[in-house]
Amino acid sequence: MLWLKTFGIVLVMTGFGSWGLNQARRVRSRVDQLISLRLALNFLLKEITYIHTPLPQALKRTAQFSAYPVSILFKEAAGWLEEKQGNTASEAWQKGMQKLSFYSELSKADLELLSTLGHQIGMSDAKEQERVFLLVQEELRIFEEEAVKASESGQKLWSYTGFVLGAVVVLLLI
Amino acid sequence: MYRVEWKNISSEIASYLAPPIKQLLLGLDEQYFSRLEEIRLRCQQPLLLKLGDRDFTITSRGRLAADLYSGYVVTREDIQRTLASISDNSLYAFEEEIKRGYITIPGGHRVGLAGQVVVHKGEIKTIKNFSSLCFRIAREVPDCALPLIPYIAPRGVPVSSLLISPPRCGKTTLLRDLARILSNGRPNLPAQNVTVVDERSELGGCYLGIPQLDVGSRTDVLDGCPKAEGMMMAIRSLSPQVVITDEIGRAEDVAAISECLNAGVVVIASIHARNVKELENRPLMQDLMKLKAFRSGITLSRRIHPGNIEETIRWQA
Repeated sequence: MLWLKTFGIVLVMTGFGSWGLNQARRVRSRVDQLISLRLALNFLLKEITYIHTPLPQALKRTAQFSAYPVSILFKEAAGWLEEKQGNTASEAWQKGMQKLSFYSELSKADLELLSTLGHQIGMSDAKEQERVFLLVQEELRIFEEEAVKASESGQKLWSYTGFVLGAVVVLLLI
Repeated sequence: MYRVEWKNISSEIASYLAPPIKQLLLGLDEQYFSRLEEIRLRCQQPLLLKLGDRDFTITSRGRLAADLYSGYVVTREDIQRTLASISDNSLYAFEEEIKRGYITIPGGHRVGLAGQVVVHKGEIKTIKNFSSLCFRIAREVPDCALPLIPYIAPRGVPVSSLLISPPRCGKTTLLRDLARILSNGRPNLPAQNVTVVDERSELGGCYLGIPQLDVGSRTDVLDGCPKAEGMMMAIRSLSPQVVITDEIGRAEDVAAISECLNAGVVVIASIHARNVKELENRPLMQDLMKLKAFRSGITLSRRIHPGNIEETIRWQA
């Protein structure tokens, strides 16, 4: 029976450990995704203000430039606008955000900030677009700094928590 | 005289309208589109269609009605959705067009814009909070300018000519067709190199710089270019035999026309006035008369149909 107990302990420890490590990875991922999002918005801003690329193409190019899963937002929004069914940029942006929220580790506050951009995107002159984008990017930078701090402690916490929880469960079961 | 096909309306214009308005418009009988000149969307006002000289609306049940207050009331959302479609959700890409007050869509149709005008240091910066949109249907009426040819090109040689009329008498349509006829040539009328200086994007109806309306195979179009500068540019770089431009009226236009004449280039232009007498009293016209700039003048009206020739005059060389 010893082999069965050993097998059970390994299984529990691996399960809880993996869960903890996954949580730690999610904390780190949010930071990476916030950085990726900020860079993507910077790319989109340049497409809008310097090249004056029409929004559907600008979003498509930004999707190609940006990393997964942030690219989902731009790809989905571009797809909605390219359908030419009377969809507005704001609606397309919201559709993109819905899909992004499903695949990304971004928090509710991150998504709410992005949502404010959706109400403005495309529908004003280049100067006004720049102002709105810079404001959102500035906010994102603050979120990013907070996320970095949270991830430094959070990563260790979640990594250990998984294994400690596993050990506690093993002790309780023995 | 004028015809607009249903397929043009459905593919070139209706696709830009907000879905409720698009549905109402496409539900109308095809016969009405042949006389359609304008579609006007004004916030909180009835949808308005200009058919010939009369205004109509479409009721919520999809019927054409002369009583405007029975019509579908345009909402702010309709304006915003239509504007989003026209600009491809990219108003920033149309800053210059918005400053000028209109956006040209494929097919050469022009959409006039109204709303809150932002002015900085006396210059229009942009328009925001859009409140009304006016779709002006661009028309091609092939050969409508043929009756003008004996006056503009007597003995098969074009002479500098002026089309004189109040607004909405078909000057632009006639000038466009003149460009096509002179550019392509006809029996006893050799083809000419034509430059169209299209300050308001009405003659060629350019979309992304390419004329959407037929201005002939030997025609270059300077789209959105100020008339005087455009005429000078054309002489320098495009070696035209004929320059065509719409609505002259500024002092610098006189100087540019003078340069064209000195370079041996024929100028065909239009000007706003009710008749030759009214025109000849204007200082601008007196300057042009001194230069002996124009040989032929044609007064137009819409008494019988748009582009009706009322009076012709031959000024001495």
